[in-house]
Amino acid sequence: MGAVQRWRSSLVWRVTGNSVLLSLGIIWLVGSALFSQISSGIFNEKLTNSLSDSQSSLRSIEVQLDITQFQNDAAVKKSVDQIMTVASISSNTAGREIALLHFPTKLPIATNYQRTSNLLSPNSVPNSLRQLVRKKGEQQWQRSDIHYLGGKVEQGIVVGSLLKIPRSGTYEVYFLYSLTSVDKTLTLIRNSLWFTGFALIFLIGLITWLVIRQVVIPVREAADIAEKLSAGDLGRRMEVHGENEIARLAISFNEMAVSMQQQISRLENLSRLQQRFVSDVSHELRTPLTTIRMASEVIYSSRKTFSGNISRSAELLLAQIDRFDSLLADLLEVSRFDAEAAVMVVEPVDVVTLLRRTVDYLHPSKERIIKVIAPKEPVIVEADSRRVERIFRNLITNALDHCEGKPIEITVVESEDAVAVGVRDYGVGFQERDSVRLFDRFWRADPSRARIRGGTGLGLSIALEDAKLHQGTLEAWGRLRRGANFVLTLPKVSGIEFSTHPISVIPEAELSTIVAPEDREEI
Amino acid sequence: MTLIMVVDDDQDLAEMLGIVLTGAGFEVDLVNRGDEVMDLFHAQPPDLVLLDVMLPGLTGIEVCREIRVESMVPIVMLTAKGDTHDVVLGLEAGADDYMVKPFIPSELVARIKTRLRRITAQNASGLKIGDIAIDQLAHSINRDGKVIPLTRLEFDLLVALAKEPGRVFTREALLSEVWGYRHATDTRLVNVHVQRLRSKVEQDPENPELIVTVRGVGYKAGVPGTSEQ
Repeated sequence: MGAVQRWRSSLVWRVTGNSVLLSLGIIWLVGSALFSQISSGIFNEKLTNSLSDSQSSLRSIEVQLDITQFQNDAAVKKSVDQIMTVASISSNTAGREIALLHFPTKLPIATNYQRTSNLLSPNSVPNSLRQLVRKKGEQQWQRSDIHYLGGKVEQGIVVGSLLKIPRSGTYEVYFLYSLTSVDKTLTLIRNSLWFTGFALIFLIGLITWLVIRQVVIPVREAADIAEKLSAGDLGRRMEVHGENEIARLAISFNEMAVSMQQQISRLENLSRLQQRFVSDVSHELRTPLTTIRMASEVIYSSRKTFSGNISRSAELLLAQIDRFDSLLADLLEVSRFDAEAAVMVVEPVDVVTLLRRTVDYLHPSKERIIKVIAPKEPVIVEADSRRVERIFRNLITNALDHCEGKPIEITVVESEDAVAVGVRDYGVGFQERDSVRLFDRFWRADPSRARIRGGTGLGLSIALEDAKLHQGTLEAWGRLRRGANFVLTLPKVSGIEFSTHPISVIPEAELSTIVAPEDREEI
Repeated sequence: MTLIMVVDDDQDLAEMLGIVLTGAGFEVDLVNRGDEVMDLFHAQPPDLVLLDVMLPGLTGIEVCREIRVESMVPIVMLTAKGDTHDVVLGLEAGADDYMVKPFIPSELVARIKTRLRRITAQNASGLKIGDIAIDQLAHSINRDGKVIPLTRLEFDLLVALAKEPGRVFTREALLSEVWGYRHATDTRLVNVHVQRLRSKVEQDPENPELIVTVRGVGYKAGVPGTSEQ
């Protein structure tokens, strides 16, 4: 597993491995071709030597026998014995054995001169060669094992000819040349070829590894630095060594990083300036707004003394100042989120109590259309109560705005690691495709529709930011005229991710109405 | 006549505050600079100070600290920022309460009246919390006869807890009882003041025994010697 992983992930290991494998193949081919050429060359030379040696030995034996041919049998026997003795003695040094075999005949033989040198077994001469020699009558050869009576076996070449021994008839004479020394040489050559091959492969691997490292290390460094850059560490740069291609890569990489950093910081500055501006404007507006509000309250409180139009104007003035006020508060909150300056004050919060209080505050009227389904005991989460209350307020206000007088159900369900609050209404709802855009700032499902209440258009957007700040989720489900469902899920322990979603964003009653897309086409 | 000192650099707002407060039956002193507060404070000691955070000369938070050095007069900060940081700084500097601009005049007046009211003594003697004796008539507390100075708000907070020793007060309950809020959830106000009160009355503020935290709920009066945490 580790090796495979390494192979896939590391260029160095892959290139080194590939070059080792390739050179292994090439060295194998070259080595075996070389070896077979060398071995056949050596064998041929041995063969040529053996053939000429046996030829000349045979000639000298014939000469010796010719000299003794007019003497008696004893002289011939003596001569044959002498030849065999010499052959026996010389066999150790020349690596040559000799066998004198009887030519099979039906005639009675006066004297049997069949001999072999040393302890050579007559079986060493293969029958096929003997037949060939008898048939052709001239020098023949064959590769064969040389067997000794002691059980020793050596590889060898057997060269055979016919020899006429005076007063006795025709014999076959075989010279057996051992290939042991050739084998030894070949083994030596083979071993050195193996050794050289392995050494070469090792060296090739090592060299490839070193060379590829030279190239890969800067590339890897570049990759590391690119990762750090993309992770936001914009100050990272590559080191430039020399003037080669890698150095050029480093230089242009660094130039890219610099221009990226400049662009980013320019954009950051712009957005910081913009956020700062929004925040400043909101703050600066607050003091005059306070004065205006107080003034209008003073006017409003004595509206009874004014005539109808002026009295109504005082009411409108105050109402619009209220609206302006909440818009300003929301804008300020949004700019705080944008600047990532939102601060969480985390403490244990009982969601149920907080929810009930928010409901009471927002919907104090007697004819209750909001139904809260929640556990009797407290449901504690670690959260910023101000923000959670604001999420509740925004979700409930939104539901009240769109419920068209139909009941609203608020459910609290807890699981091991999370708490979910679902706000379900059965009012106007929204189209499925709008479930994400709902949370956009100032987004409105139907721009032409008159506003019912004084929402700022920022409520859901702020609620989503608040939920995200808690590492929670806020999801929306809706269908036109079938209502909407908003589900807030918060982790029980602050900062710990939760795995369960106690409430599904798609209401249970609606699950059965979901049909496969193909069917929907037909409807 | 109750005298209220209004400190705000915006002259129009200060004037408007003057109109509203005069209308509510208070006497008003207007100051526009932070560094002019203490002179007037000495010349005409007010019953309550309304203090803007952003001021020329000295910031509201610095002024707040200076006043606290010599007086326990109720201080209400006026802030254009709802940011936790500013609010907590103001409260830690000794402010009793704060109002975020733009505020509703009636709410401001209600808040001022809460800060000025005196809890009428029901059982004037015998109220104790741990080893601290509370004298509601003299509006002071003492440990072994040694008086511990408290602001009026801190006194009210301690009395609220001491009056019902067994009851666990939620932060919201304390906000409505002591601060006079009705639907407030800004629990920072309670947290900061409980910390300040602890630092004055507890033997070891790190391990409070008189004002005990009830996790997830709020606070209650503790009985020293029993570790309930």
